[in-house]
Amino acid sequence: MISLPVVLAFAGVMFGIGLYGVLGQTNTIMVIMGVELMLGASMLNVVGFLRYTHPDATSGSFFVLVLMTLMAVEAAVGFALVVSAFRHSRTAEVDDLTELRG
Amino acid sequence: MSDLTPLAVFAVAAAGAAIVGLLEQLVAGVRPAPLALARAAAATLRQPLSRPDRRDGWLFHLAPGLLLIAALGALAFVPWAPGFRGIDLSTGAIAFAAALAYVTPAIFMAGWGAGRPLAVVGGFRWLALMLAYAMPLAMIITAVAAPAGSLRPTDIVEVQHAVPMALVQPLALALWLPAALAVCFLPPFDLPQADGELGGGAFSEYRGLDAALIGFAQRILLVAVSGMTAVLFLGGWQGPLLPPALWMALKTMAVAGLFLWVGRRLPRLEVDRVLSLAWKVANPLAILAIAYAGLITLLFYR
Amino acid sequence: MSDLATALVFWPAAVLMLVTGLYVFITSSMARAGLLLLASLGIEGLVFLALSSEFLGVLQLLMMSGEMVTMVFFMVMFMPDPGGLMGMDMVHDKRRSAAVAGLVGVGLALVAVLTDWPARAVGTDAPDVRAIGFEVMGRSMLTFLFAAMTILFAMVGGVLLAKYGGRYRIGAPAGEDRGGEAR
Repeated sequence: MISLPVVLAFAGVMFGIGLYGVLGQTNTIMVIMGVELMLGASMLNVVGFLRYTHPDATSGSFFVLVLMTLMAVEAAVGFALVVSAFRHSRTAEVDDLTELRG
Repeated sequence: MSDLTPLAVFAVAAAGAAIVGLLEQLVAGVRPAPLALARAAAATLRQPLSRPDRRDGWLFHLAPGLLLIAALGALAFVPWAPGFRGIDLSTGAIAFAAALAYVTPAIFMAGWGAGRPLAVVGGFRWLALMLAYAMPLAMIITAVAAPAGSLRPTDIVEVQHAVPMALVQPLALALWLPAALAVCFLPPFDLPQADGELGGGAFSEYRGLDAALIGFAQRILLVAVSGMTAVLFLGGWQGPLLPPALWMALKTMAVAGLFLWVGRRLPRLEVDRVLSLAWKVANPLAILAIAYAGLITLLFYR
Repeated sequence: MSDLATALVFWPAAVLMLVTGLYVFITSSMARAGLLLLASLGIEGLVFLALSSEFLGVLQLLMMSGEMVTMVFFMVMFMPDPGGLMGMDMVHDKRRSAAVAGLVGVGLALVAVLTDWPARAVGTDAPDVRAIGFEVMGRSMLTFLFAAMTILFAMVGGVLLAKYGGRYRIGAPAGEDRGGEAR
């Protein structure tokens, strides 16, 4: 039986998978992919609440739209940063981008 | 009807692919011969599958399936007559664009999975081309849906009972036709395969069932895109005297024939020129088309 | 959709979403990783459809295709070994990050299952597209404009960051094609 806790549990596990990508991956692009998965999990969360607590609320759908926008913006700016960093130091590995380390 | 709709979609797909095959022969100036078509299909099917010796081989064999699913999905959202359609969503027009969007990863997978330089080049070309053309496609769908006040394809047909949208929004039609032709990767937009330059490109390694599936999927794509052109711009099944389904079939065949005819008469476009056209001309004009659609909606369709 | 059809879509889709999402970080081929991410987020669109959010599901399917394919493009560009042929290790702090992520994931799932959520009587009808349109163009207009401005800033900022000779005066190295900018 599908219910709100089931949907939220799936979203929670998906968030964990995204977090693993963000923490564990060495390449900036893979980190961005982890962030995308985490945002996807939060979208699933909102859709779950929308479906099971306020089925007629349009503002919930609107919130998911804003999240989708955020995903696109995050990817675009992230890619631009990676391009810039790669130009600067010829690498996109997170461990090598240490210029700001004090 | 609703129980039969999956079967109906497959029937339309099979019949449409066969008709497109005949149209191809007609446009090429050959006398249409269904037997030759069947024989060529059977010969393709008899070839053994090729197995590229690469690690991403499963992408290679997944690609034709994904392409076919995308084509059938797009076809399912085209309404053919009142009550005769695949899936009737209230967001059908956007769902059509969503189904078409999966042609892009499919062809990229084909090129990458083959693991040959020219095939990968074909896949990347296609990626660049479709990123540029997916956006005008979706924007023009919104522009055409605006007068109907609905994204349901049947509503878009109903609103054209007096004047077809092609006459109301000629700019949208002019932007839609090249983008739609590009989605079908037909000449002059056959950049991923480009027989003369890339020797088959993304599809050069395909044999047997895989190759047959790709040919089938491409023809279904052409049917779906032509059908949607008829729905969005030519008033769908509406017309005097003849029954609705026949009008729709005639319009779809006319559009498909136009696409094939134009493709045979134009040289293949260069990829950089197509891209600069898409980004610098088609995208701004598509925004203009949306603004124009809003204006005429406020003036005439309220 | 009937309850059975919903369940038949939801359970396989939700499980497949997690499996493909996990494999994104296990596979070593970049093309595969990007396409698996596309699969994961596209299947999430199917989950939205099963949760009767038709518009959001279709939109998710449409948006993710373009976005993730772009991502594949960038990954193939910036990975030292995009084909995964050398089997290089792309993970650092493997044990600690897996532990933290596992704890967070399981913890969130437990919170989700154990909390007594205020479940209301469920109407199966999601708001239709028209209602969402009125929401966007009415009450939430300001938020929507703000999102649009964010996209515009992201576009301008992205181009500025990525172009040669931009904010940080990074020039093209000798011998590298400047990608048409020199013309």
